[in-house]
Amino acid sequence: MKMFRKHFGNLSRVSTQLQRNVLQLSTNAEASPVEGTAAASVNEFRTAVANPGEHSALHVAKFYTIPVEQKKQIFTGGGLPKQYEQQIKTFTESCLMVRSPALELLHYIKNADLTKPVVRYVLYGDNGVGKTLTMAHVLHYGAINDFLLVHVPWAPNWMKRPKEASNATQEGMLDLPFDAAAWLVHFKTQNAKLLQQLQLKTSKEYVWSKRESTPAGSTLIELVEHGISRIKYATETTVALISELKQLSTAGQCKVMVAIDGFNAFFHPETRIFSDNKQRVTPDRITLTQPFLDITSYDWTNGVCILSVDKLAMTEGYMDSYMPRYLLGTAGFEHIDPFVPVHVDNYTDKEFHSYINYYLDRHWINKTPKGFEEQLKFMSNKNPYTLMQLVKSL
Amino acid sequence: MAVFYSNALRCSINGYRSMSMFPKHYAEPIKRKDMEEFNKSELTKFYHIPIKPALNSYSDTVFNDEIKGKMLNYITKNGNKNLARGLLSRTLEIIKRAQTERMHLSPDDKQKVNTNAEKILIDAVENSRPLLQLTSIKRGGVNYQVPVPITKKRSYFLSMKWLLDAAFEKDNKVGLPERLAWEILDAAHGQGRVIKRKDDLHKQCESNRAYAHYRWS
Repeated sequence: MKMFRKHFGNLSRVSTQLQRNVLQLSTNAEASPVEGTAAASVNEFRTAVANPGEHSALHVAKFYTIPVEQKKQIFTGGGLPKQYEQQIKTFTESCLMVRSPALELLHYIKNADLTKPVVRYVLYGDNGVGKTLTMAHVLHYGAINDFLLVHVPWAPNWMKRPKEASNATQEGMLDLPFDAAAWLVHFKTQNAKLLQQLQLKTSKEYVWSKRESTPAGSTLIELVEHGISRIKYATETTVALISELKQLSTAGQCKVMVAIDGFNAFFHPETRIFSDNKQRVTPDRITLTQPFLDITSYDWTNGVCILSVDKLAMTEGYMDSYMPRYLLGTAGFEHIDPFVPVHVDNYTDKEFHSYINYYLDRHWINKTPKGFEEQLKFMSNKNPYTLMQLVKSL
Repeated sequence: MAVFYSNALRCSINGYRSMSMFPKHYAEPIKRKDMEEFNKSELTKFYHIPIKPALNSYSDTVFNDEIKGKMLNYITKNGNKNLARGLLSRTLEIIKRAQTERMHLSPDDKQKVNTNAEKILIDAVENSRPLLQLTSIKRGGVNYQVPVPITKKRSYFLSMKWLLDAAFEKDNKVGLPERLAWEILDAAHGQGRVIKRKDDLHKQCESNRAYAHYRWS
């Protein structure tokens, strides 16, 4: 009898659980650890100053929001790391932290004499310390302050995984037509508004083939659009465009900001592209390399060059150090020789704390036992990328 | 070690065999680093009690959780725990991403969306725990499916196994983390295949209630 009762008890538990499941559908609310996102703009880790030109030491370790329109204009074709893009999508706002390397760069650029030959700034630092995002911050400044952007989001893509390689008209050279066209599209989206405003004209006639040519005095937009529609000539168009830009800026008609991420890829001992005789070619035999080496030399004025050297731009066996001299090699180092190095480092304590606060605000860290911040600090060594990875599953 | 072994032997002679090599009076180790929260009188209890050594998987970090740890062990194949850890953390990330995005996009009921992936996992496991199971018992030459109560430990095991089964069953065009994440989210909201499987089992137990007495007679 006793057993029976026990058994019945169990069955009633079954039915209550069946009901509970129905209830569960509607109530799955949980009190979150952090509240008060409504007052976002007054948080101590945020700043309302959205113009990078106005950022100063006051705003170090604070987040500023890039307006959606500008983000679309500058970063549609790349420029933010993929995982950061994902984070932006999740948090439904594009925030960047104001950090000292970017401020240093902005300070240099603001006080530079543009009539002098261009100054090359080289961002360097260990993996995942925020070189690309520092560059993004400066790019935002450039876009707002009427610089024409010549931006290569990640140069190693051309050397490591090109869409297609074909023989160029020049003997022994290889074209990357699709990548060049993609870059032209990127250039166009970044600068469409400014190009319309400035009405820059080509200085000479470009003859692509017997029937096709771009006459002297046509606008740069026409030149770019020709390259996009005739993919075969995209690389030559890029060469033409960049030499035109150099001339125009030297003549004082426009300001140019060159930003190349992973610049050392242009000086890597070899690429992953194979020539006709099944041998790996060196980067200097890729036609796309030439214009970007050309625009990073100091024989023009009215512009700034921001380059970054990155260990990840190299392949295995060439990744021992993150110093520019090692990564660029002799040829590369001599190419950009008088340059201003800007070291990007791991977070400072203040920046780290600010980032943790930001994550808490965005409900990205949900577990806050005592001392979790110290644990994360210890485990990530205050490295931005490692912190991002660690926090993902919290 | 010899002492422990003889202890275990003695226990088995006395009539029951414990799975642990430590006798029952050994205390569980405390898995917390900050001992300040304990008051002294509480700690004095442990002065003369032998304590089991801590497992090497015990940890006091933010990343640790009991159910998470169990789930991790069930995902592991061929002892490749490192891979399993990556899969589980990716799963939790996907859950959190989905929930966080949902929360930020719906400004009115912000507090209603749960962004704590670990809580969601625990909810899912708790929701899909069965209360009874069927065992086959032979009476008079016929096998009967007899509903029997289930231990707590086994119910946890089953719920986690079912979650994983459901994830593995799905179309493998997407990776395990994605599949598992959607299964967990479903189960946490009391829907989905795992909950259905549990309910089916319960229904069958209910319909076989007439055989329940075969458990003891």
